[in-house]
Amino acid sequence: MSSAHGQGPKAPHAFFQHHYNTVEQQAGAAKLGMWVFLATEILMFSGLFLAYFIIRILYPEMVLGSHELLSKTMGGVNTVVLLFSSFTMAMAVRSAQVGDTPGIIRNLIMTIGCACIFMVVKYFEYTGKFAHGIFPGKYFDYGRAAAYAAEHGHELVGMPHIFFGIYFTMTGLHGVHVAVGIGVLVWIMLRAKKGHFGPQYYSPVENVGLYWHIVDLVWIFLFPLLYLVK
Amino acid sequence: MTTKTFLHGKPIDDVIECHEHVSPVSLYVKVLLSLFVLTGLTYAVSFADLGPASLWVAMIVAFGKATLVAMFFMHLKYDDRYHGFVFLSTIIFVAIFFLFPIFDLNSRARLNEEQGTFFRVNQAGDWNEAQRTNKGQVEAEAKAAAEAAKDAAKAPADAKAVAPAKP
Amino acid sequence: MATADTSSAHGGDHAREVSFYAAKTGLKSWLVTLDHKRLGMMYLVGTMVFFLVGGIAALTLRTELLTPEQDLVSATTYNKLFTIHGAVMVFLVIIPSVPGALGNFLLPLMLGAKDVAFPRLNLLSFWIYSLGAVFFLITLVNGSLDTGWTFYTPYSTSSGTAVVTATFGAFILGFSSILTGLNFIVTVHKMRAPGLTWNRLPLFVWAIYSTAVIQILATPVLAITLMLLMIERTLNIGIFDPAMGGDPVLYQHFFWFYSHPAVYIMILPGFGIISELIAVHSRKHIFGYKAIALSSIAIAIISFLVWGHHMFVSGQSELAGVVFSFLTFAVAVPTAIKVFSWVATLYKGSIEFNTPMLYALAFLFTFTIGGLTGIFLGALSVDVHLHDTYFVVAHFHYVMMGGTIIAFIGGIHHWWGKMTGRMFNEAHGRWGCLLVFIGFNMTFFNQFIVGQQGMPRRYATYVPQFQQQHVLSTIGSYILGLGLLWTAFYLLRSLKTGAQASDNPYAGASLEWQTQSPPIEHNFHGQPRVDTDPYNFPQIDRSGGMDHH
Repeated sequence: MSSAHGQGPKAPHAFFQHHYNTVEQQAGAAKLGMWVFLATEILMFSGLFLAYFIIRILYPEMVLGSHELLSKTMGGVNTVVLLFSSFTMAMAVRSAQVGDTPGIIRNLIMTIGCACIFMVVKYFEYTGKFAHGIFPGKYFDYGRAAAYAAEHGHELVGMPHIFFGIYFTMTGLHGVHVAVGIGVLVWIMLRAKKGHFGPQYYSPVENVGLYWHIVDLVWIFLFPLLYLVK
Repeated sequence: MTTKTFLHGKPIDDVIECHEHVSPVSLYVKVLLSLFVLTGLTYAVSFADLGPASLWVAMIVAFGKATLVAMFFMHLKYDDRYHGFVFLSTIIFVAIFFLFPIFDLNSRARLNEEQGTFFRVNQAGDWNEAQRTNKGQVEAEAKAAAEAAKDAAKAPADAKAVAPAKP
Repeated sequence: MATADTSSAHGGDHAREVSFYAAKTGLKSWLVTLDHKRLGMMYLVGTMVFFLVGGIAALTLRTELLTPEQDLVSATTYNKLFTIHGAVMVFLVIIPSVPGALGNFLLPLMLGAKDVAFPRLNLLSFWIYSLGAVFFLITLVNGSLDTGWTFYTPYSTSSGTAVVTATFGAFILGFSSILTGLNFIVTVHKMRAPGLTWNRLPLFVWAIYSTAVIQILATPVLAITLMLLMIERTLNIGIFDPAMGGDPVLYQHFFWFYSHPAVYIMILPGFGIISELIAVHSRKHIFGYKAIALSSIAIAIISFLVWGHHMFVSGQSELAGVVFSFLTFAVAVPTAIKVFSWVATLYKGSIEFNTPMLYALAFLFTFTIGGLTGIFLGALSVDVHLHDTYFVVAHFHYVMMGGTIIAFIGGIHHWWGKMTGRMFNEAHGRWGCLLVFIGFNMTFFNQFIVGQQGMPRRYATYVPQFQQQHVLSTIGSYILGLGLLWTAFYLLRSLKTGAQASDNPYAGASLEWQTQSPPIEHNFHGQPRVDTDPYNFPQIDRSGGMDHH
């Protein structure tokens, strides 16, 4: 079954809503709605990316000096974790497409597990920063942060509170998306356990999948920009 | 009455279409491995001193990874073309959003440098001066100083670790 | 509420059913309804309530401006009043008005669908709208807001008023707007009746669709802008606040990337209404259907390229100013295409000078003035002189009030019978339109002159030489207010005493006229099919009058 095109229409399933005419119409609407929603997500994050680029242009030395304080390893581990969770998410959708309910649940649990690992790593990153006075904005403690930087052979230049302000905002908003993602993943996993999904009906799995991939996509850009770029 | 809806260049009779495509597991595994390789690449490159080029390299690699995720994990390659259109036009509008402010900032700096009117705090000293005008910061500093004094009185040996002086 | 369950001569194949008002009753049938028609009516009530709030603020401002001295309210209160007027009118009235009220009510009807694609999401966006409104009300009692509706930094990061509450309200309202736009895009794509191709969509649908595209692409940037502003205000992270090393002009870039397209979120639905009104009431096929439809899309796209014309004197680079000024003129092209098409539709049409048509003609007059003065302001050198004067105030009121609100009121009259099942008194309607038209022009036309003479906006006091024109403006605003109150009065009265509306009082050809007035709960008896475009009007039958069709 490579495509529904050419097959007969699907029979109405338990979740068919009466204001649609066909099952295909409902599934198509759900998916288009999700894609339009993803567009809004991308545009929302783009504001933060633009703010980042503007700050880079205004204070290049400051950004380069500050980003050295971020742990490339922790960022890298989180990247790998998120990429893997994207893979398991895609596998969960595939399981739904072929009607393998245990497969959906297994893959969703792995995805949720990866999301939790991501949040735990993030927690240690944040607390590690807070411990050395690295807070966003006016709470940034220049003296302690500079001492911490000196310990690691780096030097703070200019106004590092701006870099960490945007760092906490970007990763914070991304973290909120991961947390929401965990919520919806748990929700569809519980529904999968009830046997709601199969080849007839898997829009929620697919849409949560699309959402999860966009969370991954944002991180794919956040990671090099915040942690790696010189 | 035939409708004029086209999918992959071929006319289809029903406007409401559903595109399902089941990719083989091997494809997903290949994509995942490619993503790992690209992540390793960008991580390794970050240790090389490429200067300004490092931004471009990192961005090209990131776009490569994003394309893989969008095309295969998100099924854009097999999906209704309109979804791809939505995605691409979003990217175009993001580009517009980026283009003008960055263009403005770059040309602003150039023009204002000639006139010597653009104020930009670049030195830590300048900023610390500017920061002092901020009430919250002044309070925080006073509090930190008080704490430092208290700690110093209690355990002079630990003073260095707790409250290093401002540079 | 009136039901249309009458035995009038609208036979057809189906027995008449009870209207959606009568199908369910009780408070709960409204508060948790999934019915797009009920949600549309609730948006109508909500926007009208806040229209009153914003209007009272405006009339207070005008009263203060009767004399050059500061007498009625203090300067600080004046700042708060114009901020509240602007923020309420933009975020709570104009943006949700046409899409929220008429769009919700009419879009599924015009598409021949049972509902929008996501009815629950629709309910959610209404409740998000209400929540945002609550935050605005909290702002009102909690120190108000004096930054102007634009929340410009650095003042908004230091103002002592309730900036965060108001910003959070606008942030929430943005999500309502996004979800409505998302719902409408999917509805237009997926819920059209068989045979309803893109080239047969009513132009109102095209306009709402283009609006939804802008809502989707621009509003998320507003969300992130306001979020950054809230973070800036609470944490001082130094992105927008120059005291912390930020760039206040960057805030304006962020803000206008949303807010310029938002101007078209406001006016495009108005264009859609006018296309319907002019075609139906001149009994002529709309001139240049495709041109009007595609110019909506063109406006939607070009609107993203011109935002810098709000920032000519804000410290953006001269080069960027020149580029934005040049691009701004491009918007005039699709807009002019629309205006010329409407005028060409009127040409040799069989024009019925009833209330909706009078509002459409008023729109043509006022919007054209508003649009053309926008060209003046888009010219870089002219704007340097006119920026932040009453010329700007007059310009955007001619577009927003003279454009969107006049079109909205015209649309309410046009579809009043369909929405409520009752007809308003035609003579009352014409008097109301006359009052609104005279009052509006009296208020704002001489503001072009006084602005050009150098009267700056947003001041409670002014030099005595401008008093005569300010008095004229204030009297005009009273007439306008009176006209609007009169309109509200006879419309509400018609709910009790108005004649029963026939299913198709104006002999329109689009799908919403093919069902009962007010519509039944599931909109249509069976699945409507479409085999012609919505502007193929039957041969006009003068002998029978309007109610005959």
